[in-house]
Amino acid sequence: MTMTETTLTVNGQTRTLDVEPRRLLADVIRQEFDIAGVHIGCAHGACGCCTVHIDGTPRLSCLTFAVQCDGRDIKTVESLGGFDATHVLQLAFKSEHGLQCGYCTPGFLMTLVPYVEENVARGTLPSDEDIREAMSGNICRCTGYHGIVAAVRKAIGDQIGGGQ
Amino acid sequence: MRPSAFDYHKASTLDQALALLAEFGDDGRPLAGGQSLVPMMNLRLARPRHLVDINALPLDAIEIRGDALHIGALVRHERYFTDPLIAEHFPAFLEAVHWIGHPTIRRHGTMGGSVSHADPTAELPSVCVLHDALIVAASASGERRIPATEFFLNAYVTALEPGEMVTAVEFPLPSGPTSGAFMELGERVGDFAIAGIGVVLGHDGNTITSARIVCSGARLVPVRSADVEAFLVGRTLADPGAQEAGRIFSAAIDPVGDHAASAAYRKGLIKELTRRCIAHAAGKASA
Ligand SMILES: Cc1cc2nc3c(=O)[nH]c(=O)nc-3n(C[C@H](O)[C@H](O)[C@H](O)COP(=O)(O)OP(=O)(O)OC[C@H]3O[C@@H](n4cnc5c(N)ncnc54)[C@H](O)[C@@H]3O)c2cc1C
Ligand code: FES
Ligand code: FES
Repeated sequence: MTMTETTLTVNGQTRTLDVEPRRLLADVIRQEFDIAGVHIGCAHGACGCCTVHIDGTPRLSCLTFAVQCDGRDIKTVESLGGFDATHVLQLAFKSEHGLQCGYCTPGFLMTLVPYVEENVARGTLPSDEDIREAMSGNICRCTGYHGIVAAVRKAIGDQIGGGQ
Repeated sequence: MRPSAFDYHKASTLDQALALLAEFGDDGRPLAGGQSLVPMMNLRLARPRHLVDINALPLDAIEIRGDALHIGALVRHERYFTDPLIAEHFPAFLEAVHWIGHPTIRRHGTMGGSVSHADPTAELPSVCVLHDALIVAASASGERRIPATEFFLNAYVTALEPGEMVTAVEFPLPSGPTSGAFMELGERVGDFAIAGIGVVLGHDGNTITSARIVCSGARLVPVRSADVEAFLVGRTLADPGAQEAGRIFSAAIDPVGDHAASAAYRKGLIKELTRRCIAHAAGKASA
């Protein structure tokens, strides 16, 4: 086993590390960057909790080796609205009861932020069925999903001015 | 759990990837989307000593070459939704993609990875068998084309030799108007299928002139049925005999029973999915 030199930028912080190839991006973000918003639920792709953005695109950080991300720009939930959680989708999760324990929430937010942005850019308010499809890779044990769907609808609706 | 140790090699050309795979033999594996390999490694169901990352290789074309649609090994599942050639020529393929996992999985998973992983319930291996696709396999000593019907040998076992990798899959273009459909049932949408059915009907006006049908999830590899295909040819789009076709297909298959469903349940499911799938495909063509 050889260590591989890897340069990662996480939420604007760039570091070059010697990492074992077998280390998952999720673990490296949590342990080397001390960023705890990446949650690991299953470590085999089934729950969506560990979703981060790599060069702007959602990806499961439990199915990604850190060495694959050399030179890439990685964003976690902390990049959205900081510790005050002021991103429009975070505010909607709060007002629409889109979270309870919060374990799944970073994953839902990172999966759904680009989806909200795409719909706002197009000026389209998607159907609930379409919203559920967009979040189908994420599992929430608490909310029953209705509050999350309502939050997505609100975050898009408020921005395109169509209301709900 | 976490993977056991391995060495990571990022290939920048196909020749380099093939040289590395030749060197490592059984100890090496290509890493494409990682959407099946990494879960297996995390669960220690796979412990490769060497991973050859092929993501930088230029294998992501979808284009017509000769009389086939060439799909590069690194084409990601989500591309099919917006590719006009898939919509125009392969409607059953397009419908099948909707059943693959979830958006984040479809954004990264690849054609080469899906066929090489050869999950018995996976959609793309079924689509390859349905369309008599050719799997293009390359190694340091050359290239060969393997018919999909001979490529899938068992659950998670393919005809690929150590040192070989898939570079593309070629789908023969249909010669006349066709319609197609793909339907499956799983516990939840995006879960692995209990069984799935794909059908392609070639037609001349109202008459069905050719038929292909495949079933995934029921056996360890996708299965076709010459009996159902022969039954459908000569019938009409208005009355394709979907119910009887379902009965024939279901009688011809001896399905597996597992934690998800019993063999008897799968038999019933194949009958009903076949009926619905043929009716849907015929309905689309006559609409
Ligand atoms: C939660 C979840 C749900 C899913 N649901 C479905 C589903 O419903 N249907 C479905 O079909 N799939 C599903 N998948 C799997 C997904 O479609 C994978 O993308 C696909 O099976 C493998 O593609 P990959 O590019 O990720 O391959 P990888 O995971 O990178 O590789 C898979 C295997 O193929 C080998 N390999 C990769 N590329 C090549 C190549 N070019 N030549 C030779 N060998 C190669 C690897 O060495 C490995 O053995 C799901 C995955 C997850 C995590
Ligand atoms: S921890 Fe990555 S999908 Fe569950
Ligand atoms: S809020 Fe608890 S799992 Fe989703």
